[in-house]
Amino acid sequence: MVGLSVGEKHFIKGGIEQNLRTDGRKRYTYRPIYVETAVIPQANGSARVKFGATEVIASVKAELGKPSPSYPDKGKVLIHVDCSPTAEPAFEGRGGEELSSELSVALQRCLLGGKSGAGAGIDLSSLSIVEGKICWDLYIEGLVVSSDGNLLDALAAAIKASLSNTALPKVQVSSAASDEQPEVDLSDEEFLQFDTCGIPAIVTLTKVGKHYILDATSEEESQMSSAVSVSVNRQGRICGLTKRGGAGLNPSVIHDMISVAKHLSEQVINKLDSEIAAAEAREEDVP
Amino acid sequence: MAGKRGATPATYSPSLTTAKGKKKPPIFTDDANWVRSDGRHFHQCRPAFLRIATVNSASGSAYAEFGNTKVIVSVFGPRESKKAMMYSDVGRLNCNVSYTTFATPSRGQGSDNKDFSSMLHKALEGAIILESFPKTTVDVFALVLESGGSDLPVIISCASLALADAGIMLYDLVAAVSVSCLGKNLVIDPISEEEVYQEGSFMISCMPSRNEVTQLTVTGEWSTPKISEAMDLCLDACSKLGNIMRSCLKEPLSAPEE
Amino acid sequence: MAAASGSNLSSEMEVDAFRRLFPLRFHERHLLQSIRPDGRTLGKARDTTIALGAVTSANGSALTKIGCTTMLAAIKLEVMTPTAESPDEGCIAIDFHMPPICSPIVRPGRPAEAAPVLAKQLSDTITSSGVIDLKELSLVGGKAAWMAYLDIYCLDADGSLFDAALLSAVAAFSHLRIPVVSLNDEGRIVLVSEDNGGGKLEKEPVNKEKRKLKLDSLPFSLTCILHKNYILADPTAEEESIMETLVTVVLDSSSQLVSLYKPGGPVPAHTSAIQDCVALTRQRLKELQKILNGAISDMEVD
Repeated sequence: MVGLSVGEKHFIKGGIEQNLRTDGRKRYTYRPIYVETAVIPQANGSARVKFGATEVIASVKAELGKPSPSYPDKGKVLIHVDCSPTAEPAFEGRGGEELSSELSVALQRCLLGGKSGAGAGIDLSSLSIVEGKICWDLYIEGLVVSSDGNLLDALAAAIKASLSNTALPKVQVSSAASDEQPEVDLSDEEFLQFDTCGIPAIVTLTKVGKHYILDATSEEESQMSSAVSVSVNRQGRICGLTKRGGAGLNPSVIHDMISVAKHLSEQVINKLDSEIAAAEAREEDVP
Repeated sequence: MAGKRGATPATYSPSLTTAKGKKKPPIFTDDANWVRSDGRHFHQCRPAFLRIATVNSASGSAYAEFGNTKVIVSVFGPRESKKAMMYSDVGRLNCNVSYTTFATPSRGQGSDNKDFSSMLHKALEGAIILESFPKTTVDVFALVLESGGSDLPVIISCASLALADAGIMLYDLVAAVSVSCLGKNLVIDPISEEEVYQEGSFMISCMPSRNEVTQLTVTGEWSTPKISEAMDLCLDACSKLGNIMRSCLKEPLSAPEE
Repeated sequence: MAAASGSNLSSEMEVDAFRRLFPLRFHERHLLQSIRPDGRTLGKARDTTIALGAVTSANGSALTKIGCTTMLAAIKLEVMTPTAESPDEGCIAIDFHMPPICSPIVRPGRPAEAAPVLAKQLSDTITSSGVIDLKELSLVGGKAAWMAYLDIYCLDADGSLFDAALLSAVAAFSHLRIPVVSLNDEGRIVLVSEDNGGGKLEKEPVNKEKRKLKLDSLPFSLTCILHKNYILADPTAEEESIMETLVTVVLDSSSQLVSLYKPGGPVPAHTSAIQDCVALTRQRLKELQKILNGAISDMEVD
């Protein structure tokens, strides 16, 4: 992936040990975060998020569908991530597929909760329109445009921003007989803003040597032994967790990483919320 | 019927008759005295049946049966990597998990678990000394004969046993256990019925003797104390499972020679 | 085999090397002594076991082992609407799978060449043997019938795959238990739970009596290798790879010939050799019937 000399590797590791990383950040500092909403006019909601040189786009498409028979009172959300070959030469051809599916699965786990949809960051019950008959299906697509580490956090932030940008048309249901599929009318004027306060942020801690760092660049990620991604919501509850990287971790280290991630999440969520609000304000200014 | 197969009509499996308006009895209650449908305690695993060297044509293999979850894993190699692969001074690990068509209650549902292959890979790679077989590939193929809940942990444990049987150098065996969060309770080693109702799941795979976690996944909403509780529960179960796996490996040696 | 009688390590190594370097000569020297490398005589098949009901999620299943060759067959019943041409007949769909676990030559995404060939052979054999009367699979004439999905998985491939697969298929059919079902108001078939048998049933079951299939004339098979003048019954994978002329004979319970396969091969078979193969199969038929009956009675005792 990243070709680094022995000296460079040493420099990165040494910097992390001394709490001064190669780009001048401390261990628990993010790169500048940039959020732009409504970047794709065709989608119901979309956003572009940059973490330094990492750039991702997320879009939300809403369609009316039929709820699955096992969970009649819930809507459906599908998350899919694509890695563009422009992001990294290794993604060319089928090279990005493995990473794409890994990211998709990790996001589903962190945002959608268990099979039953309980404990999901995105409230699936709010997508229900008529129980057992009609619900909203949200298709969330993520696209990695430029890859410089910490893709999962960036994608989660982009999904949150795009959902915050999403407006679902108001649905008028004409009452039909109980057995038939009811007829629906989509309003052109009235839209419902999607509620995003429950959506968790993903905080990935990358372990390099003895220390963990936040928002690692791909150079730093190449030196990691393992990484733990924790998704935390505003209430400080953990909504999902995945581990990457081959090396084993001592359980006490994991506990420590979870508590650090939880501690940091508050500031991340606040920062992200203010960035999203700023982006939305900017968008409204433009006629 | 081969001739008619082209025009195979759509089929469905008959569902159980349920009187309208009456729901199936819930699988769990918040009642403290509630007993699981198979009579286990909350913190009791299903009895494990493990056997190594089940597939003769593989370098190593293992069969695991936890209740109705039945898994067979074959390990091939170390053998030549695919031609297209670039030179690598460490060995490669290639994992694949598949389901039989009859593994799940309705036919052909097993393809829902496409991510299991990469999950298995991640759980195992930390335990294998990849430096010991440069330029070559070890293939780990798992087939779920019957899915009865907690499939992935069973696959992982079984695969590590198969790797050991194949003589692949390992730092330690990998044991995996999952718990489900049902209401206020944590239940270990859930069966399929319990997994459907779970509000959260927690799976850990670890190397018991080294006290290292190789893979950890959490879904659903958890508080920190609950995570700690689940982790302690799983780690304890993993070390017990590790001992069972170890004794299974020793079994053929201790058996009297014929 | 003078070398084999030596007990010290170096000569053992030599035998192993000889076996790898000159496999044909290694086997031919065994054949001269009318014995095979695994200690069998030429006409003897490997130990065979059948375990019924190995898969609880299926309606009928069987695990068979012939030597190391292991097959798992399971039948799942689903409901279909019968075709207009045969409104009172069900259907059987047979598939044979060779998952990557069974052999080093199969890899994910690159299926074994043998699998579709065997699937077709099995399907033809089971259909033509008339072992199952498709009318028995009918539920409601013209409305609903059973579709029996028979899937056979090879768990360990060590030669004579067809024999093991056919045996597992036959055993799975003899284990098949048809669930009691009824027709509901919407015209769909639903299961009748067995534990409320005493309670009031809303609908009368449509298939009260038909819990088991009537199986007559079960087919059994034996694969033989023809090599020079020798006939080797039930070959292992190694033998199959060295001596390539195979003959598979399928006979039914009353020793009638169901089918016979000789897919080419370098040795043109003499008619007398084929007759010998049939004779060997006839013997094997009796063995297999005994093993299957034993397995069925074991299960009924449980």
